[in-house]
Amino acid sequence: MKSQVTGRSLDVLLVDDSPGDMRLIVEALKDGRTQVRLHIARDGLDAIAFLRRRGKHVDAPRPNLVLLDLHMPRMDGLQVLAEIKEDMELKHIPVVILSGSEDAESIVKTYNLHANCYVTKPVDLAQFTAVVRFIGDFWLTAATLPMEER
Amino acid sequence: MKTKGTITAPELVATRTRPSKELFRTLFYSSPIGTYIVQNGRFLLVNHQLARISGYNDDELIGKSSLNLVLAEDRNAVRDNAVRMLKGERSHGYEFRMVTKRASLKWVMETVAPVFYRRKRATLGHLIDITERKQVEEMLKQTTLEMQRSNAELEQFAYVISHDLQEPLRMVSSYTQLLAQRYGDKLDADADEFIAYAVDGAERMQALLHDLLEYSRVGTRGKPFSWVNCKDAVDKAVANLQIAIQESGASMTYDVLPTVMGDEGQLVRLFQNLIGNAVKFRRDDPPRVRISAQRRYNKVAFSVQDNGIGIEPAHSQSIFEIFRRLHTREEYPGTGMGLAICKKIVERHGGHISVQSKPGEGSTFRFTLAVAGDEAT
Repeated sequence: MKSQVTGRSLDVLLVDDSPGDMRLIVEALKDGRTQVRLHIARDGLDAIAFLRRRGKHVDAPRPNLVLLDLHMPRMDGLQVLAEIKEDMELKHIPVVILSGSEDAESIVKTYNLHANCYVTKPVDLAQFTAVVRFIGDFWLTAATLPMEER
Repeated sequence: MKTKGTITAPELVATRTRPSKELFRTLFYSSPIGTYIVQNGRFLLVNHQLARISGYNDDELIGKSSLNLVLAEDRNAVRDNAVRMLKGERSHGYEFRMVTKRASLKWVMETVAPVFYRRKRATLGHLIDITERKQVEEMLKQTTLEMQRSNAELEQFAYVISHDLQEPLRMVSSYTQLLAQRYGDKLDADADEFIAYAVDGAERMQALLHDLLEYSRVGTRGKPFSWVNCKDAVDKAVANLQIAIQESGASMTYDVLPTVMGDEGQLVRLFQNLIGNAVKFRRDDPPRVRISAQRRYNKVAFSVQDNGIGIEPAHSQSIFEIFRRLHTREEYPGTGMGLAICKKIVERHGGHISVQSKPGEGSTFRFTLAVAGDEAT
């Protein structure tokens, strides 16, 4: 059976330690076609707590999409990705790596850990905005995702 | 000695040809090589040179176990080597550490041969002091290791800074652009100009960091060498430059190009930078680029020749330095890293790059690559 994600509120978990980047992503998604509720985690530990509904995140929704930065303090993006993709309850959630790096090694590592895609943050603002919107539109509207019971 | 033009083994010297005692004594005692005869593991005869090397006098050595002079850790190896050599295995000798009378260590090289001495089996040994050579070798090894380490550290350093500086720079450029986008119509002409300079500066720095990163990656992220068909590499380079080549109306000719040992991605980059320069630094007429290759022993000498603006001979060395530019950005854009990257790639392949040019007539870049062999780094 196909799920119909349109028409319900879509939750996106953004994991990024840079307030500058976070704001740019918020701005980009604000005027996009897909309406999202953006949840923010400032590091890997916070992201895992959100996903496992621990601590202050007891009532957290299960996100439809995770946007994950790689370089973060305490627990980096690769560790978060590995935890998500090893967890039966979380592994179906699409994880898009949004990284400032074009490092070939990191790219291979993330795909080997089953990242759904790797995107390098464009330097140019217009491109950055376009890419973030495109990711939202693709994963939340174009792609059919498994039904999520809440 | 009647040896009929062949060198006689020591065994034969002692047993068959029987030199006079006098000749034997002279050979033995005046030799500049530490010489001795050992029987049942103990020194029976020693010359002055052995005494000098070991620091013991002759009397102290006679009757002493010969293995006593060998550093304990080296004894097993010395015993094995000596046995093999006594059995007739060909060898230039073996090395070990000798403990001198003053309890200091000396590196020596030794050869042994089986002889009969006073009708009993014995061993004739020769040894020379190679401590100085070993010290020089060790110093060279240490220096080389140290240089490799500091080179690797520098490359890593360049990699990390160019990589990590990109993030904050992206913030500067993104938010300057956001400022222009959102408030552009609320500001005056001066503000627009200031924003334009800030954005331009951030973009240029981005380009510099990008190329610096690529430069550092030549050493840190290079692939192992394999056979690379240079024609394929040139074809790929030309495909990457397609737009520039078409726009300039450039014509390309190339010889039959050989297969070399190398990192294909880097060789594509090498040809791409050189052809790209040939097209970029052109005169009014369409650029003509000619690539040729000539084999010289185990190297291939390549040349990339153009009919462009050329380079003053005074700059023929400095153009290969990082961030070196000979023109303003308005005349020719670029970071000044292209040829530095070329040089680094050629050197990683064990070759050399140079340029010959007459201003106004064109330039010829030449470089060598190894036809076969291991990675040169």
